Amino acid sequence: MSEKNQTFLEVKDLTVIYTANKKIVQAVNHVSFSLKKGETLGLVGETGAGKTTIARSILRILPDPPAKMLGGEITMDGVKISALSEEEMRKIRGGKISMIFQDPMTALNPLICVGDQISEGLMLHSDISRDEARKKAGEMLEMVGIPASRYVEYPFEFSGGMKQRVVIAMALACNPDLLLADEPTTALDVTIQAQVLDLIADLQKKLHTSMILITHDLGVVAQTCDNVATVYAGEIIEYGTKKDLFLNPCHPYTVGLFDSLPSMVGDEERLKPIAGLMPDPTDLPQGCKFNPRCPYATEKCRSGEVPNFEVSDGHFCRCWKYAKEAI
Amino acid sequence: MEPLIEVKNLKKYFKVPAGINHAVDDVSFTINAGETVGVVGESGCGKSTLGRTIIHLQEATDGQVLFHGKNVTHVEGNDLKQLREKMQIIFQDPYSSLNPRFRVERTIYEPLKNSGRFKSKEAIRQEGQRLMDLVGIDERLRSSFPHELDGGRRQRVGIARALALNPEFIVCDEPVSALDVSIQAQVLNLLMDLQDQMGMAYMFVTHDLSVVRHISDNICVMYLGQLVEKAPTRELFRQALHPYTKALFSAIPSTDITKPFQRVQLKSELTSAINPKPGCRFAPRCPYATEACAQPQKLEEIAPNHFVSCCRVKEVN
Repeated sequence: MSEKNQTFLEVKDLTVIYTANKKIVQAVNHVSFSLKKGETLGLVGETGAGKTTIARSILRILPDPPAKMLGGEITMDGVKISALSEEEMRKIRGGKISMIFQDPMTALNPLICVGDQISEGLMLHSDISRDEARKKAGEMLEMVGIPASRYVEYPFEFSGGMKQRVVIAMALACNPDLLLADEPTTALDVTIQAQVLDLIADLQKKLHTSMILITHDLGVVAQTCDNVATVYAGEIIEYGTKKDLFLNPCHPYTVGLFDSLPSMVGDEERLKPIAGLMPDPTDLPQGCKFNPRCPYATEKCRSGEVPNFEVSDGHFCRCWKYAKEAI
Repeated sequence: MEPLIEVKNLKKYFKVPAGINHAVDDVSFTINAGETVGVVGESGCGKSTLGRTIIHLQEATDGQVLFHGKNVTHVEGNDLKQLREKMQIIFQDPYSSLNPRFRVERTIYEPLKNSGRFKSKEAIRQEGQRLMDLVGIDERLRSSFPHELDGGRRQRVGIARALALNPEFIVCDEPVSALDVSIQAQVLNLLMDLQDQMGMAYMFVTHDLSVVRHISDNICVMYLGQLVEKAPTRELFRQALHPYTKALFSAIPSTDITKPFQRVQLKSELTSAINPKPGCRFAPRCPYATEACAQPQKLEEIAPNHFVSCCRVKEVN
């Protein structure tokens, strides 16, 4: 547990834009966060908030053009991976860092049997023979609960939940230090989701992997994460431990997210949705990006960047409401 | 009181290369006027097929659908056209259920025009505008094309279209599952407000249990084409009796972090409803299954209005 306190991954001032139809989409704006060894960080937010772009820019798999990383520094285990050459990066991808993609139906190659898709990565990253890689891939399949005898089957022969488990086996095959899980359970039914989440948690414990979990499902976050960051319009607007965010959400947007969920316990008559819509990313509002939808917005919120205020130890919130506590 | 809709032993089978898919198998329940019945289950359990068969988008294989006591299972021609005015559907995917070449206005005028209820173009326009006001489509968006709208607004167009001819019954087929939570809440509120104003009945198909708990009066739980449990919402959430319902409820990740998660672990995953064996279809995954489960199961009333289809329900609970 002692090594847990070391910062493992550090993202500083990450900024990514997309260019589309001569318009500039500010997808990620000055995002900074850090992750310790073995820790799980949840990135929550709505569609288009920039969660996936953050994960993809860590792995440097954003298509350029249209995407462009304007600034930022990503350091993992003391190595500045944002400055590595493409060749060096390829050694890291799928080895030290791997990603579970959102849609298991499209993440697998339909023309290659699932076992070979797993062993391909193994052969690339660890210096082992084809036979050894095959054996290891079979073990990985067993680990995610698929009989090794199904090694030679093709993706179409598996159900959605099983395909997702193949994708997980693939991501974990090389014992990555960092796992980027992009909505790993969104396409699955709840009973299967429960199995997959348990599986990831087990493996994480066994292999001591750090994980960034991207999701819009707050229930999944509550179950798996240590720390949580709320992402809105390409910014982290609130960051804290799971306890901080779930028991004492501070940013009006985070509060709004919790309020708009139908509760499984209480007896509310009407839901309280957040008014309005996400801002157009080609034309973000001045000041706090949330101000047009925020019930507490004042003049101050409409001009200038909002600093990150520390609400309590380790709990940060980008909202002027918490200015006093900080000073 | 006579129920608005009575579904009796409804069956819908599909022929597939591997055999016969029993998508909906012997399902019976009723929906009263102004009431919301939630249908929950995992993907592939036949809940959408059930909705589509009830409103006659698909021909039923066997069984009956009664509307105001009248058998409408196999109506055709003019009768069917009239029935369509009374029974409508809101589709799951607001991205593919709108004609991409129709402006928002035209999508909504279309059913008004087809009904022949309105004598002039002006009358259609007025009614169309009223509907768009009702569901909250801004003036400036009315001559847009669907691709210019976001999911929540598109779903509002789908809702306005379903409401156009004052139906008495609407099948809501996962109307919010493609939407983000904050937008989902807006659409759910809209659906509930409209029901208060106009008094139509909903059959609400979803896999999201917190949504179904919020909106429904009664809930039917389906597993591989069969109804395994039905009960009033409160009763079901107070005490789920079928082992599948229990597992389903325990699998929902709760946002309450003060309580530890206690999940009922299920073995393997959903099998399919193709050429099923007689007996309980959940048995292969059920932690309580015994040999008795290989016999066909019947829905039985265990508590008032609480029906369960499980031979071991007494021992399990």
